[in-house]
Amino acid sequence: MDNKRAGSMTALAVVLLALATLPGWAQTAYRAPRMADGHPNLNGIWQTLNTANWDLRGHAAAMGRVVALGSEDAMPPGLGVIVDGDEIPYLPAAEAKRKQNYENRLKDDPEVKCYLPGVPRATYMPYPFQIVQSTKTIMFSYEYAGGVRVINMDKPTKSPADSWMGWSNGHWEGDTLVIDVTGFNEDTWFDRVGDYHSDSLHVVERYTPRSAETLTYEATIEDPKVFSRPWKISMPLYRHVEKNAQLLEFKCVEFVEELLYGPLRKHPRNDNP
Amino acid sequence: MRQHPFRTLVCAAMGCAVIFLLSAPAIGQTPGSVTKTAAAAKVSENKAWTAPHLPDGTPDLQGVWSNATNIPLEKPRQAAPARPGAYTNRQANGDLVLHYDNAQFGLDRSRNVVAEDTREYLVTTPDGHIPALVPEAQKRIAERAAFTRDHQWDGPETRPLGEQCIMWPNEGPPMLSEGYNSNLQIAQGPGYVAIMQEMIHDVRIIPTDGRPHIASDIRQWFGNSTGHWEGNTLVVDTTNFTDKVAFQRASENLHVIERITRVADDKIQYEFTVEDPHTWAEPWGAKIFWEKESTPIYEYACHEGNYGMRNNLSARRAMERKAEEAAKKEAK
Repeated sequence: MDNKRAGSMTALAVVLLALATLPGWAQTAYRAPRMADGHPNLNGIWQTLNTANWDLRGHAAAMGRVVALGSEDAMPPGLGVIVDGDEIPYLPAAEAKRKQNYENRLKDDPEVKCYLPGVPRATYMPYPFQIVQSTKTIMFSYEYAGGVRVINMDKPTKSPADSWMGWSNGHWEGDTLVIDVTGFNEDTWFDRVGDYHSDSLHVVERYTPRSAETLTYEATIEDPKVFSRPWKISMPLYRHVEKNAQLLEFKCVEFVEELLYGPLRKHPRNDNP
Repeated sequence: MRQHPFRTLVCAAMGCAVIFLLSAPAIGQTPGSVTKTAAAAKVSENKAWTAPHLPDGTPDLQGVWSNATNIPLEKPRQAAPARPGAYTNRQANGDLVLHYDNAQFGLDRSRNVVAEDTREYLVTTPDGHIPALVPEAQKRIAERAAFTRDHQWDGPETRPLGEQCIMWPNEGPPMLSEGYNSNLQIAQGPGYVAIMQEMIHDVRIIPTDGRPHIASDIRQWFGNSTGHWEGNTLVVDTTNFTDKVAFQRASENLHVIERITRVADDKIQYEFTVEDPHTWAEPWGAKIFWEKESTPIYEYACHEGNYGMRNNLSARRAMERKAEEAAKKEAK
């Protein structure tokens, strides 16, 4: 290779590097396959590969909550998914409540009871979910507890009442599916360490194609009763590429009946005090 | 008589009377809406109408649908008194004709979205009845019923599946009207049809890419469904049920074939065939019409608000304690 050619290649590499470090470049550079309506095709079975469900913040590995489960219940380590600092901006009273949640997490985490996970927790639970996308309607079906959301892509409508999975209105901003979620009840948590919200929760989710097999997921979380300012999480979603990939049933209700109703049995089980 | 026995029921949680009625064996009463008429459904046939398709050419079944009906599944065992004039499932004032026998679906008078239908029953067998149970099934069902009779208040597992919030009666497949909230929403993505039922927010995602069923050792409440298109009809084949499958007390060998066809902008024809040699001597099926709805489906969070289970079991334990104390007193 002569010097001139090597020099021009170095220059090209420098330009490419500079482009790659510009904010958002990686996202806008990828052009996702289109649906007939011109919008990106987000159909597929997706899942995160992180430990946000254990703790949104960065955390070292830690002992689990149930001694008998040993390392199966240990908390896997994670770098955290919160954007711009590793902090959730709780108001002082809310921080106290979060600590209380943490102390009582084995009893109070709605996941333990197989309750619907809410948003954004449904996205980063360690189970897959499927996006079924057409023009007017996008359905999100979650394996965990059979959770489901229907995203209204028409004129935005108002939540008729509070619910576990919230009320979702969606629209496209370029290649990004933006979902505005309101109408939550106050009964879901964000993770297993007691991070929580009130019924004033407002979540804005952004799903952006970043490669054929990955999406970027961002959620801005706002709740003036609990947080002093909006905060944001971000993580990639990975496509299940297995040939026969499909959601299976995870109807966990039957697995928590002993936990919830065991003491009400005619003959309570001795092995489960 | 214009009684509304179900309308005032608050069924936000479990344990409401509807479950018990639906899970009880069907008893033919004297439904006022049943008269002798042709067994054909009255679906307006508009010659100019063409089935809507998605841009990729797939038939478009999407929307929110009601599968409520006030027509019994089977031909009532007891003949109804004849009524003059053409059969209709509405009264002169436009209200639906309701009859609260256990074979009827769409119990709630507040439900007014019901496809016009002139049939007297939904099943498509020549005699209007579900085929007889084979001896093996009679034995299995009798044993199960005896166990339930003796143990129904023992704990959560012996309560009805609907009360457990695991699945609602008639959610299927095959999908029949569920008594209340008989609403479904269909969404379609490339290679998939998703059917969400309002009750217990259950979703069936049916692949239409020709894949085989999952391994036979994976058993599920809703089985495993694969689909394909035959013209404008979505054909869904479902196997891999659990041995606790709810549909008509069939066994885990239940095999369901559903045929879903849009026959008008506001109407879907839903046909199914079920076979299970461990339950019925021969296959049988039914046909139901779904009517388009104009409002979205709201979240039905069942398990999360299941005070019914807790209340039923704790009330039963309280009754037992009371009976024990009374017995002790008597012994003194």
